[in-house]
Amino acid sequence: MRCSSYNGLMIPGTDYRFFSTRTAAAPDPSRRLYTARVPSVSFRIKAQINDAAVKDVTGGLTFYDLLGISESGTLPEIKQAYKQLARKYHPDVSPPDRVQEYTQRFIRVQEAYETLSDPRSRALYDRDMSNGLHLAFSARRRYQNDVEMEGRDEWKNHWHSQLSELKRRSMNKDARGNMSWAARMRRQRDDLSQDL
Amino acid sequence: MDEPAYTVVSDSETTGEEKSSSAFPEIAIGIDIGTSQCSIAIWNGSQVELLKNTRNQKMMRSYVTFKDEVPSGGVSNQLSHEHEILSGAAIFNMKRLIGRVDTDPVVHASKSLPFLVQTLDIGVRPFIAALVNNVWRSTTPEEVLAIFLVELRAMAEMQLKRPIRNVVLTIPVSFSRFQLTRIERACAMAGLHVLRLMPEPTAVALLYAQQQQLIVHENMGSGSEKIALIFNMGAGYSDVALSATAGGVSQIKALAGSAIGGEDLLQNMMRHLLPDFESRFSNHGMNEIKSMGLLRVATQDAIHKLSTQTAVQIDVNLGNGSKVSKLVNREEFEEVNQKIFEKCENLIIQCLHDAKVEIDDITDVILVGGGSYIPKLRNLVKGICKKEELYNVINPLEAAVCGAALEGAVASGISDPFGNLDLLTIQVTPLGIGIRADGNNFVPIIPRNTTMPARKDLVFTTVRDNQIEALVTVYEGEGEKVEENHLLGYFKITGIPPAPKGVPEINVCIDIDASNVLRVLAGVILPGCPHPAIPVMEIRLPTVDDGHGWCAEALHRTYGSTIDLETVQKKI
Repeated sequence: MRCSSYNGLMIPGTDYRFFSTRTAAAPDPSRRLYTARVPSVSFRIKAQINDAAVKDVTGGLTFYDLLGISESGTLPEIKQAYKQLARKYHPDVSPPDRVQEYTQRFIRVQEAYETLSDPRSRALYDRDMSNGLHLAFSARRRYQNDVEMEGRDEWKNHWHSQLSELKRRSMNKDARGNMSWAARMRRQRDDLSQDL
Repeated sequence: MDEPAYTVVSDSETTGEEKSSSAFPEIAIGIDIGTSQCSIAIWNGSQVELLKNTRNQKMMRSYVTFKDEVPSGGVSNQLSHEHEILSGAAIFNMKRLIGRVDTDPVVHASKSLPFLVQTLDIGVRPFIAALVNNVWRSTTPEEVLAIFLVELRAMAEMQLKRPIRNVVLTIPVSFSRFQLTRIERACAMAGLHVLRLMPEPTAVALLYAQQQQLIVHENMGSGSEKIALIFNMGAGYSDVALSATAGGVSQIKALAGSAIGGEDLLQNMMRHLLPDFESRFSNHGMNEIKSMGLLRVATQDAIHKLSTQTAVQIDVNLGNGSKVSKLVNREEFEEVNQKIFEKCENLIIQCLHDAKVEIDDITDVILVGGGSYIPKLRNLVKGICKKEELYNVINPLEAAVCGAALEGAVASGISDPFGNLDLLTIQVTPLGIGIRADGNNFVPIIPRNTTMPARKDLVFTTVRDNQIEALVTVYEGEGEKVEENHLLGYFKITGIPPAPKGVPEINVCIDIDASNVLRVLAGVILPGCPHPAIPVMEIRLPTVDDGHGWCAEALHRTYGSTIDLETVQKKI
C-alpha cells in the first residue's frame, strides 16, 4: 500500500529531518494505529501543504528553543527575544535570497511568542511539553482539534483497514469470470478510490 | 521584490557627491494619497524629506481636472480659484470611490459631488464622469488616480534626478483586498511598483517607533515597551491602530477603521444649512453645480474656523434668489455630526478591546489627519484614553507619509550608520479571511488582527454522501453571514474520492506572504491514507474582477448546497 511509504511524500529539496521525527514514531502503518503520539492526518497534510511552498526548518524545536530563552523566561524576556528575532527573520529585513525560509521561521517565532506571552496558553503548553506533546501543539485551537482527531482517526483507520480487508477477501473469493459487468465496474471503482 | 531593482548608473557616474545611494538598491518613496490631500516623501540618506512641487507645496490637493485636452492634477495645476475644482470638470475624492460598487453607501453619498456619479444599484462599478465643454466625459477612479500618480512621479523624478519605480503607499485600514488591487492597478498604470501598502496609522506608528528609538539613544535608556494609540481622521476615512514599540520594532496589536471622515462632516453640515440640498442637486444642471460648489466652499471654510472659534457666520448666495445666512456655533456642528463622533469612539474602543490593552497601559495617544484639529475629536480621544495631553511631537498632516518613507527605506534594504533605520513594522490583517461553510456562514481561517506574514488552516468536510466536488468561496470581512463580507474569489475542488459525508478531510490553508499576497491552498485526504487524494490546489486571490457579490449568488443559484462544505466538529 502506498500509504506506508513516507518517502513518497518527500518533495525535492525538503529537509529529511522534518519527516524523520515522524517516521521514527511510526515505523509501519499497522503499529501506527496504536501509537498515541502520531500527529493526525490533518497535521500531516498541513505539513505537506507547508512543504509545497517552503521547507520547515524549525520542526522539532520547542517554543522556548525557537525564542532562544529558558523555560523559566519572564514575560519581558519573551517580548525582547521575540522582537530581536523579528528583526532577524521578518521579511522586510531578511536577506532577499532567504525571504521564503525566514518567513516560515518568522511565522513559527510568532506562534511561539503568541503562545508563551499569554499566561494561560503558556501553562497549557508547558503541561503538554512535559508530556512530550509539544510537536503537535500548534495554536490552541488546532491543538484541541488534533487531540480529538487522533482519537477519532485511530478508531476510523482501524475500522477502515478491517473493512477493506474483509472486502478484499470476499472479492478474491470470486473468480473474475463469475462477476457481472457491473460488479467488475464497481470493483474497479473501489480499487481506484482505494488507490487514490 | 521579484522585480529587478533599478540601478541608476548615470547618476553615480556623473555626479560625484551622489556617493552611497546608488550603491544600494533603489530607495522606495513614500506616498500618502489622501482623499483630499496628497504628499510624497523619501529617505534622503540621513532623514525623511518631503518633496515640494514647483509652487513650493508639500501638501497637494488630490484631484484631476479634465478641463483641457490634457488632464492635469493637483500636483502641477495652478488653480485660479477653489471653485474650479467644483465646476464639475475635476474629479476628486477618488480614494472614497475606488474599488466600490454602485450599491455601496459611500458611492451613494458621493452623488452630491459636483462631478457625475451615477449608480444602477446592481453591484457593478458606478459611472463616473467629468464635465468637459458641457459634455459628461466618463472616467474611472483608477484612471484618475493613475493620472495623479504620473504627475507625482514626474515631480519626484525631476527633483531626485533618477527614475522612480518602487513606492510604499499608505491606505485606509478598512480597504478590502479588492480595493487594494485597484490601487495597485492605478500604480501599474502610472508605471509604479507597489513595494508595500501600509495602513495609515501603522505608518504613523513606525515614525513614532523611530522617534522613541532616538530618545532611547540620546538618554542611553533601557527602551522599555511603549504602547501607543494612533487615531487618524482624514477626509475620507478614520483609522485606529494600537502599537507596542520597543527597540525600533513597532508591533501592531490591532487595527480598526471605517469609511467615515471629513467628507461626512461636511455633508452633514451642508444638509444642516440647506436641508434639501441633495434633491436640489440631483439633476446636476450647470446652475446647481455652481451653487453646490459655493455652498461646499462656504461650509468647509466654516468647519475649519470652528476648530479655533466657537461660532461662525455663514453668508452664501447660491444664485436663483436662494441664500444661506446663518450663525453656526461649535455645539451645533458637534450635534449635527454626533453619529460620526460616536462611530469614532466605537472604533477606538473596538481597537483597544481587540488589542487586549488596558487603558492605563497606554503611553502615548497620537492624533493625526485633518480631523485632529477638531476640538470635539481631541477631547473624545483624550477622554477614552484618560490622557491629559496628546502626543505633540508629530506633524499631524505629515506623519503618515514620513512613516511610509521610512518603510520604503527599510524594505529597500537601506541601512543607516547612525541606526536611524533600525526599524521594523510588524503588521496585522485588518480584516478576517475565510470561506463559506455550514450553510451560509462565513468561517474565518485567518482572523482579523493576525500578524503577517501568516499561514493558517482549517479542516472542512463534505455535506453529502459520495460528494465528489466542493465549492470553496473565499471572503474577507467580519460579518457572520457571507453576504456581509467581501467576495474575494472561488474555486471548485474536484475528484474527491466517493465517501460517506463527513469523511473526506478538506484542508483549507490561507497564506499571506511578506508582500501581502494572498493564496489559498486546498488539499483532500481520506482518513487512513497520508496522501492527498488529489494534487493540492493553490489559488492566488482576489480572482473576482470587480468585487461582485452577485457572482456568489449566481453560484448559489446554479449549485444550491450540493457541493457545500462544513467545518469538522471537534469539541472537547
